[in-house]
Amino acid sequence: MEKNRLLKNLKKTLAVGAIIVMAASLFTACGNKSDSSSDSSGMTGEISVVSREDGSGTRGAFIELFGIEVKKDNGDKVDKTIKSAEVTNSTAVMLQTIKGNEKAIGYVSLGSMSDSVKALKVDGETASVENVKSGDYKVSRPFNIVTGKKTNAAAKDFISYINSKEGQAIVDKEGYVSEDATDSYAKSDASGKIVVAGSSSVTPLMEKLAEAYKKVNSDVKVEVQQSDSTTGVTSTIQGVCNIGMASRELEDSEKAKGVKSQEIARDGIAVIVNRSNGLSDITSDQVKQIYTGKITDWSEIK
Amino acid sequence: MNNSFKEKAMQLVFLLAACASIIAVILICVFMFGNGIPAMSKIGIVNFLTGTLWEPFADVYGILPMIVGSIYVTVGAIIIGVPVGIFCAAYMARFCGPLQYKVLKPAIDLLAGIPSIVYGFFGLVVIVPIMKDIFGTSGKGILTASIMLGIMILPTIITVSESAIRAVPESYYEGSLALGATHERSVFATLIPAAKSGITAAVILGVGRAIGETLAVSMIIGNQAIMPDSILSGARTMTTNIVLEMGYATGIHRQALIATGVVLFAFILIINLLFTLIKERSARNE
Repeated sequence: MEKNRLLKNLKKTLAVGAIIVMAASLFTACGNKSDSSSDSSGMTGEISVVSREDGSGTRGAFIELFGIEVKKDNGDKVDKTIKSAEVTNSTAVMLQTIKGNEKAIGYVSLGSMSDSVKALKVDGETASVENVKSGDYKVSRPFNIVTGKKTNAAAKDFISYINSKEGQAIVDKEGYVSEDATDSYAKSDASGKIVVAGSSSVTPLMEKLAEAYKKVNSDVKVEVQQSDSTTGVTSTIQGVCNIGMASRELEDSEKAKGVKSQEIARDGIAVIVNRSNGLSDITSDQVKQIYTGKITDWSEIK
Repeated sequence: MNNSFKEKAMQLVFLLAACASIIAVILICVFMFGNGIPAMSKIGIVNFLTGTLWEPFADVYGILPMIVGSIYVTVGAIIIGVPVGIFCAAYMARFCGPLQYKVLKPAIDLLAGIPSIVYGFFGLVVIVPIMKDIFGTSGKGILTASIMLGIMILPTIITVSESAIRAVPESYYEGSLALGATHERSVFATLIPAAKSGITAAVILGVGRAIGETLAVSMIIGNQAIMPDSILSGARTMTTNIVLEMGYATGIHRQALIATGVVLFAFILIINLLFTLIKERSARNE
């Protein structure tokens, strides 16, 4: 009896062990498969189109620059991005998705580019800070700060810092394209607390600016809140924040509500694919056709 | 005098504490229905619930794709999570030795404590590439989200089922053995059927968790607002629809998102009602 039970236990343990080994081999088999398929240079297969959520400034600028946004007769703009495109709501998820899928295409702010993915040349131009600055790389957008009718002295002081030589040096250092600045920052006697809110693309840069600003003027406290461009503009209109951040131009309907924008830097948008993708060059027309669903297979891109 | 005053005062404090959660529920209801119902009537309840197009910029709001997406993902999670959960509960209650139990129990508790963003990232980095290699799709989609949610609802199902199985009187088991049934047969043919209502409650709690999960799902389901045509295709659930667009929505778009929340709320309400009914029935049986 006791022996029988022991045997039974042993059998059970063996069975469990076998299942674990099988499962493990299944996983490694999958790993091998992805390795072997990754070194093919001529890409074929259905394109996985990845985009950002509707409110994103990156998406707004991307669809505008590539003509994916179409103006209707009555002036309304229509976003023609295909409905089957995956939607990610952050830069990190976008990068991870492209990194894990050799048939995917996506887009990301040049300042957030990482080595885990590959940026395509657009119309023969490499996506780099120099090319954005010289105007050769056309896919770029402004980083704007938005102010309402009433701007207090503290906010004005911070804005003058951003536009100064010192502020623009930080823009350069962080990998964005700076504006021309001639004046040095001169500390005013302003003090208080200001809230800067909006675009998740501008936030990393704004945090660096606020950090450096603290060193030259500790009387003004800057609080940076991250959301998205549209929320940033809306908050400025409502007076919830002193300065809004937007990674796109303002809409006419927003300007009508009494806010104005000011460019503090430029940022390129990189069209990204998996590192194993053999493609290195793409035309802007091809990007448009991929995102509107006219091109669906990698073999159609030569 | 002094004492009775203290007593009264403390009673008031306790009453307020008890009211806090009720007030919160009422406030949420008022906010949701106050904002959601006008939007629904503006869009038209039928259009809103059965429309297959979601185009906020063209003022077209139909949430049928999201309702279908939520149901698909939840059913998938149940198909994957329930058998595993019940077998695990049976093993923990009746098969494993004290040593295995000492390892299993904390592991399952830990599973319950993992934040959903971590689940989401795990899904994105591990499950999505595996699904992509097996099926040749982008890897994101209903099946991927179902597997992820199947894992996420395990702790709920295991914990509740295990205590349900343990609550069955020992005499059932002994009676079964006395009739000549083996240990396995006694557990699966006597104990588990006897714990049926408790296990059903576990499944319903799991459904509630699966349908309400947002963050992890939004990272691995693809979020396309289209009617899914297979379990491999991408989809959007009601929860991810809200989280994706709430940040910038204004006007009727915002109200439509809140109305999506109202529909979700109705689903959860039905689930909770079922849970209460089943609990009452089991209480009467005992």
